Amino acid sequence: MDPGRVRFFLSEVARNFSRNVIMQLTAIGTVTVTIVLLGAFLFTRETAGKIGNDVLHQVQISVFLKDTAGAADAKAIAAKLAHDRRVASVTYVPKAEGLAQMRDRLRGQIDMSLLTSNPLPDALRVRAVDTNHVDQVAAALRKMPSVAKVEYAQDAVQKLVRLSAVLGRIGLGIVALLIVTAAIIISNTIRLTVFARRREIAIMQLVGASSGYIRLPFICEGFLAGLCGAALAVALLAVARAQLLPKLALALPFVPLHDADVNAVVFALELLGVGAAVGIVASWFSVGRHLRT
Amino acid sequence: MISLRGVTLVYPNGTRALDGIDLEIAKGSFVFLVGHSGTGKSSLLRLLYREQRPSRGSVTVDGIRVDKLRRSKVPYLRRNVGVVFQDYKLLVDKTVWENVAFALQVTGARSRDVIRGVPRVLDLVGLAHKSRMFPNELSGGEQQRTAIARALVNNPKILLCDEPTGNLDPANTNDIMDLLHRINLKGTTVLIATHNVLVVDRMRRRVIRLDDGRITADEERGYYHAAGGAAADTAELPIMRYSVGPRTSSLLSE
Repeated sequence: MDPGRVRFFLSEVARNFSRNVIMQLTAIGTVTVTIVLLGAFLFTRETAGKIGNDVLHQVQISVFLKDTAGAADAKAIAAKLAHDRRVASVTYVPKAEGLAQMRDRLRGQIDMSLLTSNPLPDALRVRAVDTNHVDQVAAALRKMPSVAKVEYAQDAVQKLVRLSAVLGRIGLGIVALLIVTAAIIISNTIRLTVFARRREIAIMQLVGASSGYIRLPFICEGFLAGLCGAALAVALLAVARAQLLPKLALALPFVPLHDADVNAVVFALELLGVGAAVGIVASWFSVGRHLRT
Repeated sequence: MISLRGVTLVYPNGTRALDGIDLEIAKGSFVFLVGHSGTGKSSLLRLLYREQRPSRGSVTVDGIRVDKLRRSKVPYLRRNVGVVFQDYKLLVDKTVWENVAFALQVTGARSRDVIRGVPRVLDLVGLAHKSRMFPNELSGGEQQRTAIARALVNNPKILLCDEPTGNLDPANTNDIMDLLHRINLKGTTVLIATHNVLVVDRMRRRVIRLDDGRITADEERGYYHAAGGAAADTAELPIMRYSVGPRTSSLLSE
């Protein structure tokens, strides 16, 4: 492209951008807040998802075998389950071991020496890969001949799944609302620039500038505001991650606050993309409305 | 070059700005459009550069049906139609050079064409030596010449002028008319809406008179007041107080 044309275009964008510094900063600040919250929300959702998954993962199905069933039957069931793709793990707990575990768990609370015989049946502890599969696995187990009883925390699992879905939706709604707010503020900022430059726009239209050409500097202005805001937000999030996360992890020792699975670069680029897109869309609409009149 | 057929323009508030206008203007003509304020002169010009669409009738400019032109094509029409206003419409934060270059730059001209085109028109309007000055450092006449240079830099076939001398003293008025005349001699069709009686009467070119949105007179080598029309309009008398200097006589000498 012709360097003179590029220079003229860039000077137009720079002029637009510097014309309403205060409004521009407001727009950038709003985008920053929005993107920080979006980033925090996405991170929380990711972590919460993982915590949820961990909790759900711990939901185990207790399979109690009939008294008539022996170790061989238990091993047969375990072998069968091992081939089932929905099953994450199977542990065989013979009645003696079950009693020992119970003794450990209840030590000091109940005097187990009163027991003259072992009341526990042989048992299997089964974990599903996915919480959604728990029902199916349990149903399959119930049909097995040597199985006496199948127990698992069905309600708790379902409630947890539902709650996390609702929380996710609320969070998404808040973020969407913030994005709309940011878009409106950018749009208003651009409209101020458009207003300040209405003479120039009128002259551009008079001498035959295409509406695309008239629009472009304003779109770039919105793009820049969105990008700057998002860049600031990404920087803040990076600082927060470096400073806050270790402290948080110390404060909540049992909560798996790992973000190792999140690709920081991709995540940052996504957030920048959201900021830039909000800026472009907002300015497109605000200039479009003006050009039509 | 310009053709209007059965053109009527009614504004949304019900005002009938133009009423059944039929008009032909040949290529390379120099035409005055006269009449009181509010008789539809500016409305007629606005139809020609598609600032306005007629309520009825057809408007053709350089073979293009302007009234049917799609919005996206309007910029290309306007590159062929230069427009000059009474209030110059210059950008005060740009120099003379930048104001003129602006018209090329925003239509996507290459910088080579800008560097060639701007001095050419500044030379034509006699402002080459003031190209670095800002509009508020110029006289009214110079500002109008800048505006004319800007209107011409895209080499339009038609130049529309809406009261180009409305804010100028007689000396500057004559300069501007002289310039417009020279532009016309180079082949550009020039259409001037004015109520400056002196200018019209001295130049003796085609005069189209509008009254209440209708053409009431159309004469080659006409006067401001059509033959047999009303005598001097009292509203326009103050203009006639100005003495006519030697510049006026140079109007047609070139």
